[in-house]
Amino acid sequence: MTSSLPILQGTLDLLVLSVLLPGRLHGYGIATRVHERTSGDLAIPDAALYQALHRLERQDLVEAEWRASDNNRRARYYTLTAAGRKRLREETANWRRYARAVEAVLAGA
Amino acid sequence: MSRHQGRRSPFWYLRRGRRALESDLDEELKLHIDLRIEELRASGLSAEDARREALRQFGDLEYTRRYCHEQDREKEKQMARGLLFEELFQDLKISLRGLVRAPIMTLTIVATVGLGIGATTVIFSAIDAALLRSLPYADSGRIVRIYTDSPPNKFPFSVADYLALNAQQTRFEKIAGYASRSMAFTDGATAERVRGRLVSWTYFSLLGLRPAAGRDFVESEGRPGGPRSVILSDGFWRQRLGGRPDAVGRAVRLDGEDYTVVGILPPVVGPLEQGQDFFIAAQWTTPPRKGPFFITALGRVRPGSDRAAADELHAINRSIFPVWRVSYQDDRATWGMMDLKAHVVGDVRATAGLALGAVALVWLIACANASSLLIARVTSRRRELAVRAALGASRARVLRYLLAESSLLAVGAAAIGTALAWTGIRLLREAGGAFFPRTQEIAFAGPALWILAGLTAASTLLFGLVPALHGSGGPVEASLRSSGRSSTGSVSVRRVRRILVATQFAIATPLLIVAGLLLVSLNELGRVDLGFNTHNLLTATILLPAAQYPNDRVGAFWDELQRRAQSIPGVAGMTYSDSRPPSDVNNFNNFDLLEAPTPPGESQPVTPWITVAPDYFQLVGLNLLQGRLLDVRDGLRPNLESVVVDRAWARRFFPDGTALGKRLRSGGCSVCPAATVVGIVSDVKYVGVDKPDEGTVYAPMPPQQRSRYVMLRTNGDAAAVVAPFRQVVRELDAGLPLASVATIDELVSQSLQRPRSLSILVGGFAIVALVLSMIGIYGVMAYYVQQHAKDISIRLALGGTPHDVLRLIVGQGMGIVSIGLAIGLAAAVGLTRLVASLLFGVGALDPRAFGGVTALLLTIALVACLVPARRVTALEPAAMLRQE
Repeated sequence: MTSSLPILQGTLDLLVLSVLLPGRLHGYGIATRVHERTSGDLAIPDAALYQALHRLERQDLVEAEWRASDNNRRARYYTLTAAGRKRLREETANWRRYARAVEAVLAGA
Repeated sequence: MSRHQGRRSPFWYLRRGRRALESDLDEELKLHIDLRIEELRASGLSAEDARREALRQFGDLEYTRRYCHEQDREKEKQMARGLLFEELFQDLKISLRGLVRAPIMTLTIVATVGLGIGATTVIFSAIDAALLRSLPYADSGRIVRIYTDSPPNKFPFSVADYLALNAQQTRFEKIAGYASRSMAFTDGATAERVRGRLVSWTYFSLLGLRPAAGRDFVESEGRPGGPRSVILSDGFWRQRLGGRPDAVGRAVRLDGEDYTVVGILPPVVGPLEQGQDFFIAAQWTTPPRKGPFFITALGRVRPGSDRAAADELHAINRSIFPVWRVSYQDDRATWGMMDLKAHVVGDVRATAGLALGAVALVWLIACANASSLLIARVTSRRRELAVRAALGASRARVLRYLLAESSLLAVGAAAIGTALAWTGIRLLREAGGAFFPRTQEIAFAGPALWILAGLTAASTLLFGLVPALHGSGGPVEASLRSSGRSSTGSVSVRRVRRILVATQFAIATPLLIVAGLLLVSLNELGRVDLGFNTHNLLTATILLPAAQYPNDRVGAFWDELQRRAQSIPGVAGMTYSDSRPPSDVNNFNNFDLLEAPTPPGESQPVTPWITVAPDYFQLVGLNLLQGRLLDVRDGLRPNLESVVVDRAWARRFFPDGTALGKRLRSGGCSVCPAATVVGIVSDVKYVGVDKPDEGTVYAPMPPQQRSRYVMLRTNGDAAAVVAPFRQVVRELDAGLPLASVATIDELVSQSLQRPRSLSILVGGFAIVALVLSMIGIYGVMAYYVQQHAKDISIRLALGGTPHDVLRLIVGQGMGIVSIGLAIGLAAAVGLTRLVASLLFGVGALDPRAFGGVTALLLTIALVACLVPARRVTALEPAAMLRQE
C-alpha cells in the first residue's frame, strides 16, 4: 500500500458516493471496494473515509442504518439518498470535464 | 427527509442522548478495526502485530472520533428542527380541519375579531395622523398661532395688529399671516370661483415650504405698490393651466387683475395649504381703524424663548392699545399664542376618543366572545386532549396544538382586518376631510401596520391563552375516567365563561348607551326649527370683481340679475344677503347700546350682523313681530341707519320688551352714527343648527356690495332651477363664476353629516357588541342546560314543573347578565360625561337612553336564556334519562 497514490483533495466524497451507487455497504466494505476497483492504486485512509461518511450523512447525501452484517455482527450500513444520487451525477460530470481538460493540456505539451 | 425514514419507527425521532451517539460511533469504528485485524491475521500476522498494523492503517483515530461525533450531533440538531416544523405543520393542518368543521363559530370569530382589528387600526391611524404626529412643517414645534385673546373667544388679527406685531416683536424669528380669499379665475373662455389665501410674503419661509418650481415670495412683493405675485397649488397648475412647464413667469387673471406666477407648490403640502388653489402676496397698508379682524397670524418662536415671547405679546398689545382706543374698546382682551397644531387640529379629542373607544371595545368584546367559544370547544374535547397527554404529549405540546388553532383564527381575523383597514384608510383619505383634520396624512404604513400587527398578536393571546391553559392543565386521569359531559374542571370553566360573558355585557352597556344618546341627539338636531320654510330655497354666491365693476355699475347689475332670475319659470322670487342659514355668517359685529353703554374694561356684545335686501324677510319667510321691515330707502341713507333685530336679540338685551326704537353703535366705533332698531322679526339659525339663538342683527345691504348670496324661492324642486339660473348669469356676464350652489335643505343635511357619521359608526359597533353579547349568553346557557340535562330530567321526573325549571335556568343566566349590566351602567355614568360635548338636546345621563338600553339588553338576554331552557323542558324526561 505504500505504493498507492495519495487521494486528490475533493475527490474523496465522489469516490464514496460512486461506490455506494450499486447498493448499501458498511464502512469497511466501502474501503475494500475502493481498493479492489483501483487494484490498489488509490488508497483512502480509513480515518478520512469515516470522516467523509459522517459528513455526507449530515449533508443528507447518504443515510445510515444498523443491520446485521454477513457474519452476523451489527454494522452500520450506508445507502445513497435521492440527493446523494443527484450529487453523484453532477460531480461525475464535473470530474470528467476536469479530467478531459487536464488531459488536453497535457497532450499539447 | 425521506418517506422511508419517517416510517421507520414511531419513536425514531426521539432525541438520543450524547452518550448513545458516542457508543454508536464507537461500535462502528470498532467493527472496522476488528474486520481489518481479521484480514491481517488471515494474511499471517500475529494477533498483536495485526492489531498494531490495523490501528496504524486507520490513521488518527481520536481525531476521527471527534470529527464524526460532531457531524452526528449536527445532524441530530437538524432533524430536531425539522421535527419541530413538521409538528407545527401537523398542528396547523389538524386545527384547520377542525375549524372548517365548525364553520359558524369560525366565521363568527374571524369576522368579528377582524372587524375589531380593522376598525381599530383605521381609527388609530386617523388619530395618529391628526393628534400624535407633528405638523409636516420645518421644526413645527416652534410655530405658534398668535391671536387676540378675549375669553371665551380667540379672535384673528387685524391689519393694524399684524403690522404692529411684525414691527415691534423681537422674540420671534419670523412672523407671517394669512387670510382666506376666494376669487374669480378667468382664462378667457370660462370663469370659476377659486379658493385661495392672501399671505404675508414671509408665509412659506416661516413654515419651511419651498415651491417645487419657481421661487418663494420676496420682500418687495409684500410692500404696497410692489409687483402683484401669486404662488399656485400643484392642483391648480395641473387642472387650470394644463401643467405647462412655462407657467412660472406668466400671468393669471384673478378677479379681473393680472398676477404673475412666481412659484408652484409641490403636490404634497401641509394641512394649512390643503384645498387652497392660490396664494397671493398680501400688500397690507396701515388702516384708518383697528378692525376688521381677519388675519390668522403665525410666529416662529426663537429657541428657548417661549415664556419671553408670550410676555412680549402682552407688552406690544398694551403699547398699541391707546392708539386705537377710538375704534376699539375691549381693553380686557390681550394677545396670546397657541401651538399651531392645536389650531389646525381643533377640538376633536372627544370625537376621536369616542370613535376609538367604540371600535376598540368591540374588538375586546369580540376577543372575549372568541375566548368563550373556544373554551366551550376545548371543554368538549378534553377527553381527546387527555388521551394525547396520556400518550406522551407534553403539556407544552398540547398547549402548542391549542395555540395553533387560535393562531389560525387570528391569521384569518388579521386578513379581514387588513382588508378593512386598507379600505377604511383609503376612504378616510378621500372623504374624511369633512369629519376629521389632517386626513390627507393618514397612510396604510408605519404606525398603522404596527398597530395591526399588535392587535393581531394581542387577539391571539387574548382568545387563545385562556382556553389553551384550560385545555392543557388539569388531572389527566380524572378527565379520562369521567364520561366526558360532566367532567371535572367544568366548575372552573363555567366560572371563566361567566366572567367573560359578564364582561361582554359590561362593555356593551356603555357602548349602547352612548350610541343611544348620539341617536337621540341626531334626532333632536333633525327636529330643530330653523325658523323658516327650508324647502324650495336655492342659494349661491356671486362676487363682482372690482376691476370690471366700478361702484356705479354694481347696483345696476344686481337689479338686472334679480329681474331676469324672477322671470325664470318656477322661480317665485329672488333676494340678496351676505350670509345664509344654517351655518354661514359673513360678519360678526361688536356693538354698544347707547342706552346701556358697555363699561370700560368689559367686552362689548358680539352678534351675527347680516346685511339683507329689503325683500329678504318676506322671501325667506320671517315673521314681523313688532315695528316695520327694512325698505329700499334704508339702504340709501348711510347716516341714518336702521336695523331690524330678531326676537332672541330683543329678549337678550331688552328683557322688558322695549327693544324697538333703541339705538346702538356697531364695530366699536364711538364716533360713527348710531343705528336704530326699527323692527323685530322671528328667529333664524345662522351659526349652526346645534347653536342656541343668541340674537341676530339685520342691516340694510348697501347697493355697492359686491359679494352676495342670492336666494331663490322656487315653486317646485329647487335643484331644477340651477341650470336656467346659471344660464341667466352667463348671459349677463360670461366671466362671472357662480359658487357654492346649494339648496338650504342640502346645507342643513351637510351640517348634520358629522354627527350623523359618528352616530352611524358608534351605533353600528354597538349593535355588533349587542349581537356578540347575545351569542355569549346564549352559548353559556346552552352549555349549562346540556351539563345539567340529567339533573333537570330527574327533577322533572320527580314532579317538578317545567315552570320551576325554566325559572331556575333563566335565573342562572340573568344573574350573570345583571352583574355585567350593573357594572356597565356604573361605567356609563362616568363615561357619557366625557362625550357630553358631542350631545345636543339630551343630557349625558338621559334616563331614556339608560332605561331603554337596560330594557333592551334584559329582553335580549332573556330570550337568549329562554331558548335553550325551553328546549330542555320540552323533552320527555324518561327519554333523556335513557340517553345517558
